[in-house]
Amino acid sequence: MERRSFHDEQSRNKRDSILLAIVVSAVLFALIVSISYIWDPSSVYIMVPVGVIITFIYTWSSYQYGDRVVLSSTNAQPAEGSRYIYLNDTVEGLAIAAGVPKPKVYVMPSRELNAYATGKDPEHASIAVTQGLLDTLDRQELEGVIAHEMSHIKNRDVQFMTLVAVLVGLAGILSHMILRSYWWGGRSRRDRDKGGNLGLILVAVGFLLAIFAPILTRLVQMAVSRRREFLADASGAELTRYPDGLADALEKISQVNKGDMKVSESVSHLFISDPNRSALDAIYSTHPPIEERIKRLRAM
Amino acid sequence: MIWTLIGAVVVIGGALVLLYVNYFNRIKTLENRIEEAWAQIDVQLQKRFDLVPNLVNTVKGYASHEREIFEKIAEARAGMVEGSRQARMDADNMLTQALGRLFAVAEAYPDLKASSNFTMLQEQLEGIENKIAYARQFYNESVLDFNNLITTIPGVWFAGGRKKHDFLEIPDEARAAPKVEF
Repeated sequence: MERRSFHDEQSRNKRDSILLAIVVSAVLFALIVSISYIWDPSSVYIMVPVGVIITFIYTWSSYQYGDRVVLSSTNAQPAEGSRYIYLNDTVEGLAIAAGVPKPKVYVMPSRELNAYATGKDPEHASIAVTQGLLDTLDRQELEGVIAHEMSHIKNRDVQFMTLVAVLVGLAGILSHMILRSYWWGGRSRRDRDKGGNLGLILVAVGFLLAIFAPILTRLVQMAVSRRREFLADASGAELTRYPDGLADALEKISQVNKGDMKVSESVSHLFISDPNRSALDAIYSTHPPIEERIKRLRAM
Repeated sequence: MIWTLIGAVVVIGGALVLLYVNYFNRIKTLENRIEEAWAQIDVQLQKRFDLVPNLVNTVKGYASHEREIFEKIAEARAGMVEGSRQARMDADNMLTQALGRLFAVAEAYPDLKASSNFTMLQEQLEGIENKIAYARQFYNESVLDFNNLITTIPGVWFAGGRKKHDFLEIPDEARAAPKVEF
């Protein structure tokens, strides 16, 4: 049964990733064309093929290099040398248990207790943990956290979540751009293009997208995290055969973390516990309430 | 009429062929996974096999008279590279126990405990021990999936008389903590 559910999750994530890529490509293409229309209506003929190329390159490189963007945005350094033998051993052991290749291991220089996994597929995955996590957790707790991340990798959650992360970043940038273009282009457009109904519609669409894109991706983030976090907790516990390890780790996380890692909001849903909010501040969190997660683990 | 019959035969035959291909591939995939799982264990057993003499030599420099433990370790180590899978795992479990006693005995030798060589070897051996445990778990999960597939309907029809694989068991005594008498 469990293998089947892994399999189901994998196909679901593949499907979701493709869907997300298509939707975002379409939105991006629409934005490029409407912006160029606002700028100069006659440029649309050039901008349609250019838009296709830009959209393609953007989506492809988000998929291909998304994990590097995420890793560098969180200041993660490769965990090399004798200091990290123990961490590397733990990761390798759980990779064996999950039947996936050993992911690359990174450490983030933060006192907070946190961790995430990223990558385009299980063969090209990475796990990053904070120095605080290494210093504070004991072996079984660390194994619990790593097993949780390993489940994200095996389920291919990392693929979808990394795509969401990179594309959320895009939404923020784009909303800035289109709003600026609207204010700048607004005056001159009225002068030279009085009867442009189509133009007005495009501007309105672009404007709405600019406002709603961050909200929509925020909703995606929330939908993404809650179900997946519970699932990764459960299948992580299946790997270590010791749910209390992760439960203890989450308890420490909820006690220690103040939520001041200051990472981009675009990547926060990747983390095991929200890096920008205290674990107890659940209302606006992209993550399920930590008490609920602990409760479910204790009940296993 | 005759064409309807032929059509029905072709459709049913085609469906059976597809079903056969599907189950054949699933059975083969699981067989391969079991072999891969064993290869993982094999790699770790070999690493452990290679590390043990270093450890023994290090300890001998400080505690040469713990002969009984050294003999036990040598015996277990020899069993790790030959025999059936279960026999090799048993030898590895025996080694784990003997090493546990060795590490416990080492507590009595402060110089040995302080030796960086010793602590490094101890860490490495324990790291490998963990990996073997996880690899065994993956192996047994794969065996369970395989056994389920070839003993349930319809998998059993396509199993071609394949036998169930054995799980890698841990003997009860291996679960107990090592005892040390001073």
